[in-house]
Amino acid sequence: MYTRIIMSALATSLLAAPAGGQTLNVATAGDQNMVDYVRDYLGPLFEKTHRGVRVVSVGTGPGDAGSQKIYEKLAAQKSAGTTTWDLDVIVIHQKIAGQMAAEQLLAKYKDDIDTGKLVSRETAANALGADVSGYVMPMFHSQTALAYNPDITKDIPGSYADLAEWVKKNPRKFGYNGIKGGMSGVAFVTGWVYAFSGNAEQMIKGPYEAATKAAWDGLLGKLKDFNKNVIITPGNAGTLDMLNRGEIAVGPVWVDMFYTWMAEGKLPPSMKLKLITPGMPGQPMYYAVPAKAANARLAEAFVALATSPEVQAEGIIKRFNWYPGIDAKYLEGKLDRAAWDKLFTDISPDELAGKGQPFPITPYFNDVLELYEKKVAN
Amino acid sequence: MTRVLAGTTGKAALLALFAFAIIGPLANLVLWSFAERWYFPFKLPVSWGLRYWEVVFRPTGVAMQSLVTSISIALLTVVVALALSIPAGYALARLRLPWRGAIMIAFLLPQAFPSVAIYVNVARIFYGLGLAGTIGGVVLVHAVHALVYSVWITSAAFAAVDRELELAARNLGASVLRTLFTVTLPLAAPGILASAIFVFLESLDEFTGTFFVGVPTVSTLPLLLYSAGMGGNYQIASITALILLVPSILFMLFVERFLRADVLSRIGR
Amino acid sequence: MSESRTAGLLLVAPALLLVSALFAYPLVFSVASAVSDPAGGVGLANFAKAFQLYSGDILYTVFIVAISTALTGLVSIAIAGYLTMGETPWLVSGLAWLYRWPLFIPFIVAAQCMRTFLAKNGMLNNTLVMSGLFDPDQTVSLLDWRGIIVTFVWKQAPFVALLLAGGMAALDRATIEAARNLGASRLRCLIEIVLPLVAPTLMVGLILSFVIMLSVLSVPLMVAGSQPTMLTVDISFRINAYGDYPVANALGVISYLMTAITAWIYLRYALRERQEKAA
Repeated sequence: MYTRIIMSALATSLLAAPAGGQTLNVATAGDQNMVDYVRDYLGPLFEKTHRGVRVVSVGTGPGDAGSQKIYEKLAAQKSAGTTTWDLDVIVIHQKIAGQMAAEQLLAKYKDDIDTGKLVSRETAANALGADVSGYVMPMFHSQTALAYNPDITKDIPGSYADLAEWVKKNPRKFGYNGIKGGMSGVAFVTGWVYAFSGNAEQMIKGPYEAATKAAWDGLLGKLKDFNKNVIITPGNAGTLDMLNRGEIAVGPVWVDMFYTWMAEGKLPPSMKLKLITPGMPGQPMYYAVPAKAANARLAEAFVALATSPEVQAEGIIKRFNWYPGIDAKYLEGKLDRAAWDKLFTDISPDELAGKGQPFPITPYFNDVLELYEKKVAN
Repeated sequence: MTRVLAGTTGKAALLALFAFAIIGPLANLVLWSFAERWYFPFKLPVSWGLRYWEVVFRPTGVAMQSLVTSISIALLTVVVALALSIPAGYALARLRLPWRGAIMIAFLLPQAFPSVAIYVNVARIFYGLGLAGTIGGVVLVHAVHALVYSVWITSAAFAAVDRELELAARNLGASVLRTLFTVTLPLAAPGILASAIFVFLESLDEFTGTFFVGVPTVSTLPLLLYSAGMGGNYQIASITALILLVPSILFMLFVERFLRADVLSRIGR
Repeated sequence: MSESRTAGLLLVAPALLLVSALFAYPLVFSVASAVSDPAGGVGLANFAKAFQLYSGDILYTVFIVAISTALTGLVSIAIAGYLTMGETPWLVSGLAWLYRWPLFIPFIVAAQCMRTFLAKNGMLNNTLVMSGLFDPDQTVSLLDWRGIIVTFVWKQAPFVALLLAGGMAALDRATIEAARNLGASRLRCLIEIVLPLVAPTLMVGLILSFVIMLSVLSVPLMVAGSQPTMLTVDISFRINAYGDYPVANALGVISYLMTAITAWIYLRYALRERQEKAA
C-alpha cells in the first residue's frame, strides 16, 4: 500500500514541474494587486512574445518585510556561493534596493535596455540616499493619502495637528496599521514625524545626524496618545477592508489600492481621498535584476517590456491606477485624457507636487521605525 | 410534563448554540465563497455569484497546481515520518531505552520552539545544500515538525498491543522479526494509521516552514490562503480555504474509525 | 538485555538524526546568535533590546496562551464529560458529531474563518443583531486578544476533548456506576472520580496545546491587529523587516524558556507517577 502511495506522490510531483522550456521567476514585494499585475497581465503579455517561456509570479508580502525576504534569499545564495540564483526579476522597495546595490547583489542593466533612457527622475538614481543608478528601473510611483467615508463622517481635518485633536473627539474612527504589515502605516508615521519635528528637509536630503532624534520625544509621546484613540489594522489591505466594512471611517491608504478596490466593488463609491498638510510620503517601486540571475537576458527583456510606454500606459495607469515609473511625457498619445485625469480626481497635480514627499534617507528612516517600536508601540 | 419539555427544549437550545459556535465560522467561509459584492451595512452579500470561483481556477492562476503540490508534499511527508517513527515508536514502547523520557521530549521540541527563527536558519543551511525551493527540502521540514505526533502516537499504538499475544507467538517458535511483522504491526496498524492522519494534516496546514524554505518555486495552498486573506481578498481566501478543507474532511469521514480509545489514552505515556 | 538496548537505540537513531540535523543544529545556531554581542563575544545585549522593544508583547503572549490553555481545559472536560456520562442519547450523538469538526481544520483556515466571523460586522455580531439581542451600534469587534483566544480554544478544545474522551472511555465503568448508585450527581462523579483518573491524559493534551499555541504564526497575524501582538509575529517581523537575527533569536529563546518550564513540569509529573507506580 505504501509503495502505491510513494509512486503516486512521485508521479504527481513530477507532473507539477514545468514541462521543459524556461521559467522566469519574478518575485514581488507587495500586496496582492502587485503580484496579480505580473500574474494576470504582464506575465501572459511576455509569454505571448516569448514562446516557451513561463513566467512564475510570486509575492513575498507587502512592505519592507517583503523586500527583506528577497534580500535574505539573495544574500544567502551569495554567501553560499551558488553559481546561479533562483530569482530573475525582483520588484523591491527603495530601502532594500540601496542595501542590495551596496552589497553587489544586483546587476547593472539599465543602460542595456532601450527604456532605460525614458526615465530621468531622481528616484531612478537615488534610493533614500543610496546610489542605485544603473541598477534599477522605477516600476511606478505611488502616493499615500487619507481615505474617508463621507457617509459616516462629513469631512476630515486637513492637517496632522488637526487630526490629532479630531481623534480625541471621535475615538476609534481612525485606523492605520502601525509599522507592521504594510507601508501605508509607515507612511503615516513618517508624515507625523515630518509634521511635528521640523526636520523634514534634513531627513529627506541629509546629512544624517544621530542627535536629531533626541528632540523627538515630545512628538512620539503625542503619537502614543494618538494611538489610544485609534484602531490598529493588520496592514494596507486591512485598513481598506475596515473602511469598506464601516469599522473605521478614516485611514491612510495607497492611492492606487484605493482606486483599484473601488473599481472592483470593494469600497463604497462615495469614498474620498485627502492629502493632509504638511504632506504624506510616496515611493517608487523598483524593477531590479539579481547579479547572478539564472535568466539575465530574459529578465532584462521583461523589464524592458514592463517599462515600455505602452505597458506603462495600459497596465500601470489604466488598469492599476499607479503614477507612471517612466517620465510622463513619453506616455503622450498612448493614453486617453480621461484615464489620466482619473488619477487626479481627489488630489490635483499641484497638491501632489506640493504635498507628496519622499521617504527619509535610510538612517533617518531606521530611526523613525526603531523609535516607534521603542517609544510608541511598547 | 412541562419540566420534561423544558428540559428537552433547553438541551436542544444548548446543542443549537454549540452547533452555531462550531459550524458558524465554517458556514461563514461558504458564505464568503459565493459573495461577489459585500459591504457595510449589509448583513448578507449584496450580490452573489461564482465570479471568484472563476478567478481562483483561472488558467494563469496557481490554485490547482498548489493543491497538487500541497497533497504531494503531505503524502511524501507521511512516508518519511512513518519510515522514521515506526522503528522509533516500537523501540520506545517495547524495548528498554535509556533516557526514554528525554527521548520523548526530544521529539516534542520541534513543536516547542517558535519555528520562525528555526526555519530561517534552516533556509540558510538549505541554500548551501541546494535544497531550498525544492519539494524535498519542504518535505524534510514538514517531517521534523510532525515527528511529535508520529512518534508519540505510534509509540502509544505499539504499547496498546497486548504483550500476551506477542509472547504467545514467541512461545510457538516465531522469531522476533516474524512476531513483529505478523502479530505486532497488524495489531498496531490502526494507531499507526492514526498517526499518519495527523502527519498528513500537519503537513497540509504547514505554512511558516514552506514560506521560508519553499518560496518561490514551491507554492502551496496555505501560502495562497495567507496572501489572499492579508490582501483583503476574502472571497479568494475563503475558496482556497474550502479547497484546503476537502482532504481534511475526507480523511475525517473515512479514517476516524482508527482513533480508538485505548490508543488515545496512551499518548504521551 | 544490552542487545535490546543497542537495538532500541539503533531503531530510534534515524528519527533522532533528522531532529538533530533540522532542529537541534539550527537551534544551537539561533541560541548562539541570541547571546552574541554586537561588539563580539557573548552578552545579553540582544535580550536587553528585546525587552526594550517587546516587553509588552511578551506579557501579552503569556496572558493569551495561559488563558487559552485554561479555557481549553475547561471546555474539553465539559465536552468529554458529557460524552462519557450523558444520558440523553440524541444530545450525546449530536455533540459527538459536532465537536470533531475543528479538529480537521488547519490553523490558517481557522484564522481566516474567525477573521470574518468575529468582525464588527461579521457573522457573530450580525446574528446577535438579527436576533434582537444587540443594537447595531453596540456591536464590538472581537478581532484582538479575545479573537486569538477564541480561535485557539475553538481549535484546541476538540483535540484535548478527543484525548480525554478516549481516556474516559477506557476507564472501568464500574467505579462510575458505583458512585452514581450511591447518589452522587454526574458533575460530582466527573470532578471527583473520573477527572483524577484521566489527569495524565489531560496534562498531555494541555501541554501539547500550550506548546502549539506558542508556535502558531498565522492566527495572531491574521486575526488581531499588529499592536500588541504575540511573540511569533514579532520574531517574524524582526527577521523580515530588519534581518535582525540576534534580537529575533533572543525573542525565540524567551519563548523557548516558557515551553521549557512546561516540559519540565511534565517530566517531573511523569517521573513522580512512575515512581509511585514502581513503589
